[in-house]
Amino acid sequence: MSLSDGKTQLRTEEMILNVGPQHPSTHGVFRLVVKLDGETVVEAEPVIGYLHRGTEKIAEDLQYTQIIPYTDRLDYLAAMLNNYALCHTVEEAMEMEIPEHAEYLRVIIMEMQRIASHMLFIGAYLLDLGAMSPFLYVFISRERIVELFNEISGARLTYNFMRIGGLRFDAPNGWLQKVRDLVPQLRADLKLCQDLITGNEIFLNRVRGLGVYTTEQALAYGMSGINLRSTGFKWDLRKTKPYSIYDKFDFEIPVGQNGDCFDRYYLHMQEMEQSVRIIEQALDDIPDGPFIGKVPKFVRVPAGEYYTGIEGAKGELGFYIVSDGKDKPYRMKIRKPSFVNLQMLPELLKGQNMANVIAILGAIDIVLGEVDA
Amino acid sequence: MWNWATHPVSWLSFLGMLIGTVVILLLTLVVVMYSIYWQRKFIGWIQLRIGPNRVGPFGLLQTAADVFKLLIKEDIIPNKVDRVLFMIAPIIAFVPSFMALSVIPFSRTHVFTANIAVGALFYLALSAITIHGVMIGGWASNNKYALIGSMRSAAQMLSFEIPLGMSIVGVVLMAGSINLNDIIAGQQHSVWYIIPQVLGCIVFLIASTGELNRTPFDLPEAESELVAGYHTEYSGFRFAFFMLTEYVYLFAMAGLFATLFLGGWSGPWLPGWLWFAIKALIYITFQFWVQATMPRMRVDKVMPFAWKVLLPLALFNLVITAVLKAVL
Amino acid sequence: MFGFMKGLGVTLRQLPKKKVTLMYPEQKPVWPERFRGVHRFIPDLCIVCNQCARVCPTDCISLSGTRGPDKKMRIDTYDINFDICILCSLCTDVCPTESILMSDTFELATYSRDNLYLDMHWLYENELAYERNHPERFVKDAEGNVESEKAGDAE
Repeated sequence: MSLSDGKTQLRTEEMILNVGPQHPSTHGVFRLVVKLDGETVVEAEPVIGYLHRGTEKIAEDLQYTQIIPYTDRLDYLAAMLNNYALCHTVEEAMEMEIPEHAEYLRVIIMEMQRIASHMLFIGAYLLDLGAMSPFLYVFISRERIVELFNEISGARLTYNFMRIGGLRFDAPNGWLQKVRDLVPQLRADLKLCQDLITGNEIFLNRVRGLGVYTTEQALAYGMSGINLRSTGFKWDLRKTKPYSIYDKFDFEIPVGQNGDCFDRYYLHMQEMEQSVRIIEQALDDIPDGPFIGKVPKFVRVPAGEYYTGIEGAKGELGFYIVSDGKDKPYRMKIRKPSFVNLQMLPELLKGQNMANVIAILGAIDIVLGEVDA
Repeated sequence: MWNWATHPVSWLSFLGMLIGTVVILLLTLVVVMYSIYWQRKFIGWIQLRIGPNRVGPFGLLQTAADVFKLLIKEDIIPNKVDRVLFMIAPIIAFVPSFMALSVIPFSRTHVFTANIAVGALFYLALSAITIHGVMIGGWASNNKYALIGSMRSAAQMLSFEIPLGMSIVGVVLMAGSINLNDIIAGQQHSVWYIIPQVLGCIVFLIASTGELNRTPFDLPEAESELVAGYHTEYSGFRFAFFMLTEYVYLFAMAGLFATLFLGGWSGPWLPGWLWFAIKALIYITFQFWVQATMPRMRVDKVMPFAWKVLLPLALFNLVITAVLKAVL
Repeated sequence: MFGFMKGLGVTLRQLPKKKVTLMYPEQKPVWPERFRGVHRFIPDLCIVCNQCARVCPTDCISLSGTRGPDKKMRIDTYDINFDICILCSLCTDVCPTESILMSDTFELATYSRDNLYLDMHWLYENELAYERNHPERFVKDAEGNVESEKAGDAE
């Protein structure tokens, strides 16, 4: 930009601003180098890797069961889903039979985890936008779920609960009843969020029509999950490629229309409602039985290459395992939805101002543990 | 000694002024201390938390401890800052905020209130000076976040000053005077101006929120975007002064609101200062309540909002007031 | 304007609700039975099979033992480095005699990393403390010896 009246020229300069790695709303240690013209972004470059721990390389040296605690630390807000993604891949590769009871329990736990993760998205997003209270409200709701997880698995964040072939423990006495009691509470919590946030004109003003992209763009960047569905493309692995026992449940896949930040926010809300529905149905149908199937003492995946993706909280979470028949993977590659979804960021940020940078970044819903892995 | 407003200045009346200033300063400090406490407590309750509860009974001394901590901190002046400007910026910001209090009538007897004939105008003029302190602070910090924050602050305060002034003009028309004491006297005889001036009151509420840089207009110090805005580089007691400025303005604005729309210290049964305190507290609590509820406005929508919504509304209110005043 | 007002109403309705804060240092959280805190260790039960050390994903357990006069292995040293332990509880999964278990001690903050190397004695003290704090979780057999965990946890 230059101010000129023909003769005198005011010299202006672009400014390079390092957002992060120590910045309040980069959701961890994420660094964004933005070139600013005034307050408008000319160019943005994400710098990642501050939380890189080499999970994929470490996994090559670990037995399959030992990898499970490492998956907890990928998307640490949805550890149960990560656990499941790994176990599911190995089970598929070994063509293992999972007892019905275990599958139902897994689905209940996974949907609870999805709600917990989405809840935190809502809170963190609103905190990015400057509203403080929703963050604390969703933490209260999330706490209810985490407490139940603590009871069943013994941990509050890194559960390490799923096992190849089933689960680590059965649900303790009365646990399922507690989940049943939780369902109406979750509905009430969701309603509170809806009342507080969804109708707020300031919020709508802020996120409507922001960070818009088309289905083609999203597909070209390999986006998945809510980021893809917000453009109106109906793609949810639970429906399109049913795994586990998701084909037994009746639930909708909400999709957005505009592909803007508001759609992404609102889909999180709607998806939580669908998850509550799944939990309800699973609680009604859960049969008795063992919580873990017949598993050989040493889990050996037959030689070959295997990939299975599940619908994680952020998108398609997949584990690609190359095995040479030993009890350790020869190579493991994790398809990390946060990482893939983040790739569009520089394109989305171009021409936006500083306030929108945070709003767009927040709506993509990244977790740095997963991006950097 | 106490009648400096009507008599020539003497050493005795100067002493009176000095005592008055110190009393008001102490009063202001206490008010600021407890508005911060009340903010933390009130927002805590809304968020199902307890709020400060460790220092003193019910945490009443929490703010005192915080201020003490800021005062004994090392006074850090970063290497690459513009030293002089960096040091005087908090002073430039604070002094007008405190001076603005001089026109607020706290009670029935105007002991410590300057009975200035242009009170409302004086307030607006002084509050516009603070922005220089903020801008200088942001510029001198040599920090990009601070620079963006201070520029935002300047743009925002300029934009909101105008609807704020226009909404006050409505009240001034009703009372027929810019003197804040006369405005209260006007309300004593008729109703509180919040009833005839309801539109002006709404505009004033919104514009004053913008002027105070409070949620949802807290863009200059939007911590999720700009870390801390214009006072990113400040620490210790210089930072404390910026915070103090902010809360003194909150108090001053609460006093102005109470004076203009709620009849100031006037009211039945209770003593004047108590009425004033209650009315100011209502405004302050309202600010905290909004803060606990609202997300931040988008920066590129704040200015259009001020110019395209608030200003026409304020002008509309002004026209209606003028017409009614002429007709009735 | 309506949504704006609705939001204000929501926040105001929260005011009288019960506060959720746990007054932590004074009031400790109640952990469920399966809670995975710091380990506890019962040296008498250990048969030095080394399975826990092998299954540990972070290699934080080191142990040594000697064969006693009765041809049974006895544990000599058992150290866990809590600097790198991730409390995944895989070691308690594989332990055939349940000599290594998880307790509900969770406060390990210390000024030096060296203090995080905890040996057999500390871990046994932790076991004793756990028994004192949760007598209801231990069933006693006929002789009155503390036998094992209450059913439910053990696989």
